[in-house]
Amino acid sequence: MRILVVEDNERVARFIKKGLSEQGHTVDHAESGRDGLFLAATGRYDAVILDRMLPGGIDGLGIVESLRRTEDRTPILILSALAEVDDRIHGLRAGGDDYLTKPFSFGELLARLEALVRRSQHVEIQTALTVADLRIDLLSHKVARGGKPIQLQPREFKLLEFLMRHAGHVVTRTMLLENVWEHHFDPQTNVIDVHISRLRQKIDEGFGRPLLHTVRGIGYRLGLDD
Amino acid sequence: MIRLLPSTSVRLALGYAALFAASSLLLVGFLWWRTEGYLDRQTDAAIKLDSRLIGDQLKNFGLPGAVTAVRERAAAADNGAVYLLAGPELQPLAGNLPKWPEQAAPKPGWYWTDLTRGGALHSVRLRRLALPDGLNLLIGRGLERRAEIRGLIIDALCWTAASALILGIGGGVLVRRAMLRRVEMINSAATAIVRGDLARRVPTRNTADAFDELARTINFMLQQIEQLIEGMRNTSNAVAHDLRTPLAELRARLEELIRVRPAMDATFEEINKAVADIDRVIGVFNALLRLAEIDSGVRRSGFRRVELSELATEVAELYDPLIEEKEAELDVDAPPGLAVNGDPHLLAQAVGNLVDNAVKYAPPHGRVSLRIASADNGQVEIVIADNGPGIADTEKPRVTRRFYRGGISDGKAGIGLGLSVVDAVARLHDGSLYLADNHPGLIASLKLPAPPATDSFPRPTQTDLLRSNPPR
Repeated sequence: MRILVVEDNERVARFIKKGLSEQGHTVDHAESGRDGLFLAATGRYDAVILDRMLPGGIDGLGIVESLRRTEDRTPILILSALAEVDDRIHGLRAGGDDYLTKPFSFGELLARLEALVRRSQHVEIQTALTVADLRIDLLSHKVARGGKPIQLQPREFKLLEFLMRHAGHVVTRTMLLENVWEHHFDPQTNVIDVHISRLRQKIDEGFGRPLLHTVRGIGYRLGLDD
Repeated sequence: MIRLLPSTSVRLALGYAALFAASSLLLVGFLWWRTEGYLDRQTDAAIKLDSRLIGDQLKNFGLPGAVTAVRERAAAADNGAVYLLAGPELQPLAGNLPKWPEQAAPKPGWYWTDLTRGGALHSVRLRRLALPDGLNLLIGRGLERRAEIRGLIIDALCWTAASALILGIGGGVLVRRAMLRRVEMINSAATAIVRGDLARRVPTRNTADAFDELARTINFMLQQIEQLIEGMRNTSNAVAHDLRTPLAELRARLEELIRVRPAMDATFEEINKAVADIDRVIGVFNALLRLAEIDSGVRRSGFRRVELSELATEVAELYDPLIEEKEAELDVDAPPGLAVNGDPHLLAQAVGNLVDNAVKYAPPHGRVSLRIASADNGQVEIVIADNGPGIADTEKPRVTRRFYRGGISDGKAGIGLGLSVVDAVARLHDGSLYLADNHPGLIASLKLPAPPATDSFPRPTQTDLLRSNPPR
């Protein structure tokens, strides 16, 4: 993927650039709002990572608004040290697709960025999802692995659906909390882990190869382990 | 402020005096107006009576009768009364004027005018009447008494004005002095507080006047500020302690890495642990920022109707596997129809924290209950009870303090902000958190005001926007 990083802090920019390059992405970097807007408007990028507070006359939100005004729908992930709910709302309202608060872990950034890009690419409506021999029907809410039906509670179904939509990619705990439980709060304990292990019991136990993997320090990944 | 005050109070004193003088003048002026009107009516009545009597004499006894009547009256006239009976050519027939004053009363009617009598000019009220047979009658009354009374009233007016001005200025000065003294009391208390004497208060006089009211409000504000500062001081100490520990570990870890230079694998293992240390620090920061955000009240803008049974079910579902893992039991009693006006995420966080605590402290195979009910005076309550060790009465007021950790929680996860968050969320919603004994265990009840019944249409809010972010 071609990714534009607009970030004025040299160390943070280098950290993101290096990490993304290692994942095989091509990264352009702009240090000021002006350069960032110029690159974003002229280059073809799969995604833009945008710091909110930038030198050079135009800040992150200004760039988002300018791009959206010209019907540019490139996925944008806003990166910011401003963490209050209002800041988040302003960022999303301006046209950002996701909002990540500094400090962040690279795993979280990558997982969210990839999810954004996937979302912008998947436009067709799906009625069923399949990963290896696991299949879920989005209309009848039926789940089966290797032809054998599995009973899931509604929330477990939602969790599995989210994991399957991002099959093969890492999803973080906060992504799950925000998207499956729609909560923007910190549940204090490892509740998500416990939900995952319960789901794992149902979809992996008694079947040959495990599908639901824990990615240490980052989150989970659904898919065949190879 | 200090320099402004004297001029303010001088202005006040002068204004007070002016107002006092003006109102006195108004009063005396009104008195004059009424008195003058009364005197004028009396004069006119006397003239009318005279003219009627003389007219009657003329009718009954002819010209001689009228002449006699005029003569009698003219002889007895005092206070500058005027009587003159004249023939058709205005030649005087009887009366106390030597000559008909033609310019004073050219036609029959009423006049205010001046007549020269005895070499002096006198103000008079005159009435000229046309009598039968071409006779003319002139009757008048001097206005000396009126002038006298006017003089008296003007005198009174001057005296009143002067005394009003003096009293007004005096009163103003007194008021100013009294006001300044009260303001000075507040001022000196404020100055003392600025210098660091936070315990100082504005003295009150135990009256219900405006200054006492002000003093009490200021004292209440000072008490709040003192508590806030005290709270902040405690929090900073606690934060310093809670951050220092992971930072110290982090520092030691990194310094040891530099010193020992272990093998690659061991190095990465240590770096991993260092990142975990940093995450702990970030966790503390995030929790504090969240608390600050709740305390600031900005989240009120996202308030909407929150159905409590839904909320309880959601939270119960979120914590369900945790309860299962502990082989505990969770009873949920959440009848539909109870709602509050609030921030759904914060309320879920608060209830979640309470359930989390209950599950954490409940013994293996323990029982946790989550109950929603309407409470007294239009409130609803969310009650979470467990059968764990509970909290000692002496500890109860302390557990909502930031970073406070009860003796029992040693070794448990968390950073000691869980109940502070619940408390802050309760206060944000104008409710409160109560802790009671479950014999054994803890009953935590969150009492929140129920919204007015009419407010049943949820408005789209900021939190909706967060939710409407399409699923990824």
